Amino acid sequence: MRNAYVDQFPAEAKVIKAAFWSSFLALAIGGSLGLLQALHRTDVLRIMEAPDYYTVLTAHGVLLAITFTIFFLVGIFTWGVTTSLDRGLVDLRFTWGWYAMMVVGTVLVGVSILGGVVDAIPMNADVLFTFYAPLQPHPAFYVGLVLFVVGTWLAGADWFRTWLAWRSDNPDERIPLPTFMALTTTLFWYLCTLGVALSILLLLLPWSLGIVDSVNPLLTRTLFWYFGHAVVYFWLMPAYMLWYVMLPKLSGGKLFSDPLARVVFVLFLLLSTPTGIHHQYLDPGIAEGYKFIAMTNTMFLLLPSLLTAFTVVASMEHGARQRGGTGYLGWLKALPWRDPVFTGMALAGLMFAAAGFSGMINAGMNINYLVHNTWWIVGHFHLTVGTAVALTFMAAAYWFIPQVTGKELWNRSLGLVQVLVWFVGMTFMSNAMHRSGLFGVPRRTAEPQYENFAFEPAAGSMGEINAQVALGATLLTVSLALFLLNMVMTSLGGSSDEIPDNTYAETLSGPEDAPVVLDNLKLWTAIATVLVIFAYTLPLASIIDAGGLFGPGIDGFQLAIEAGPAFVLESVREVIA
Amino acid sequence: MASATETGETDQVREIGHEEYDPVGTAILITIYFLILVLLWVFMYFVEFLGNGPTVVGAVLTVVGLA
Repeated sequence: MRNAYVDQFPAEAKVIKAAFWSSFLALAIGGSLGLLQALHRTDVLRIMEAPDYYTVLTAHGVLLAITFTIFFLVGIFTWGVTTSLDRGLVDLRFTWGWYAMMVVGTVLVGVSILGGVVDAIPMNADVLFTFYAPLQPHPAFYVGLVLFVVGTWLAGADWFRTWLAWRSDNPDERIPLPTFMALTTTLFWYLCTLGVALSILLLLLPWSLGIVDSVNPLLTRTLFWYFGHAVVYFWLMPAYMLWYVMLPKLSGGKLFSDPLARVVFVLFLLLSTPTGIHHQYLDPGIAEGYKFIAMTNTMFLLLPSLLTAFTVVASMEHGARQRGGTGYLGWLKALPWRDPVFTGMALAGLMFAAAGFSGMINAGMNINYLVHNTWWIVGHFHLTVGTAVALTFMAAAYWFIPQVTGKELWNRSLGLVQVLVWFVGMTFMSNAMHRSGLFGVPRRTAEPQYENFAFEPAAGSMGEINAQVALGATLLTVSLALFLLNMVMTSLGGSSDEIPDNTYAETLSGPEDAPVVLDNLKLWTAIATVLVIFAYTLPLASIIDAGGLFGPGIDGFQLAIEAGPAFVLESVREVIA
Repeated sequence: MASATETGETDQVREIGHEEYDPVGTAILITIYFLILVLLWVFMYFVEFLGNGPTVVGAVLTVVGLA
């Protein structure tokens, strides 16, 4: 008798399937645009005008960093909550409601960005992922973002009310680990998105509608990064969840420690938000002392990630030894490397270890000055969100799509090839981006070639670096196409009885070993709020004190509406002056 | 029925409990990672300070107001 997720929760499986496909659609569009950018920047193939590069870059950033990741993770968390509580969501109409809200938000944002290259749409939003003022998008962009974020808030409320319903039936039980992970992640998501929601609703949206004349760019930037660093953990926590609850089982073992996993998620709840200023080390107008506090908090965040490295690898080793692996490192050979789900997640974790190093460089205040605004940063986040998260999600899809459709994966070998090609492609691209950042190649620039100036790499050449980026991006696009092909063909296939049971990893050391206080979500939320107040009250007060709530007469600047590159250059000079 | 995706449970040859499990291989891997981090940090010193000159804003003298 088949016991897949779709058999246990057929109605929830439909929502999760819809969320996954929304995510894949964003991945398909956003990922293909990435190839266009890589070929343009490296001067391999330039089929668009330079100003269009910024439209494409905005779409790439928003569709991948926001739409792809978040649609996928609401699916994962819905799976985690329902599976671990062994009960369905309270009200499916509510669930479809937040999903629809996220879709409407995405469409508004997507159409406003598309207006940058399609004349028939009288909008533009060439503001990049960060939408820094004075770059000004059409109001629809802001409205879309708000709808999307409110949709995720309601999704969080859905998981909470399902948990509360479960708790009233099971008053003395510990929160099951996947639910615990979804709830703690939701809590810091509420905390951090409050900043960007206030920034958009009170400052940016009225400004784009002409209700107020000006904004304070430093204030809106700071509120963006108040959310902008925590959002990376919003993407990462579902990947962590999969590493904790799926990888040990796929390796043939058990999760090494449930208490350690809880400690890790509590630490992320506490520390995700009061760190955002580390993205602003080079912003004038924020005193060094506040930046130093952000750096200290950021360095503390290494702790839960290193705890995760230990717990997850120890769980994999446990599985390998149960499968007959021996020796100090010989057990590595006993892992199921032919399974695309396992291999994709394991390689994603390996890439994340490399990203840990470049992240430490970014976090260090004075070394950050060396790499700030260079391609190094782009190399860094293609290892984190672009591989640790994206590759984990793609690998997970090979397990989840059969679970929510009841159809067997079309081609496992192709899945294995796909995750390997992604790993190799990203190794080329990210390595070259990191290196070029060290000698000052800027990010967010369509054509980084300048008159009477040449970049001087300490080793290799610009041509070699560009070749690596173009090759890497091409391999990534091939990998993406293989992934989508496998997903489409799987969905077209017939129902199968060969789907594995919907289970997650058991534990060596279970929740009974974890101090009860770890499950006290109110306590941790209170401490997280206090830390945020400590880290942000004085910097925000000083920014408002210096520049005013609405800034000193900052007019909006819209890149695509103005005609011709000469005008754009002139306007950029004005902004700089 | 479990398919090949569930490699774990089908290929298990022995059961290792909490007390008898010693993650020595993990300790080795984490140590190697730590050494790589240390080496990269040392390398970074050369890249930043010897490759480009210091990028620290202000020296001790400017901080204490002597220069």
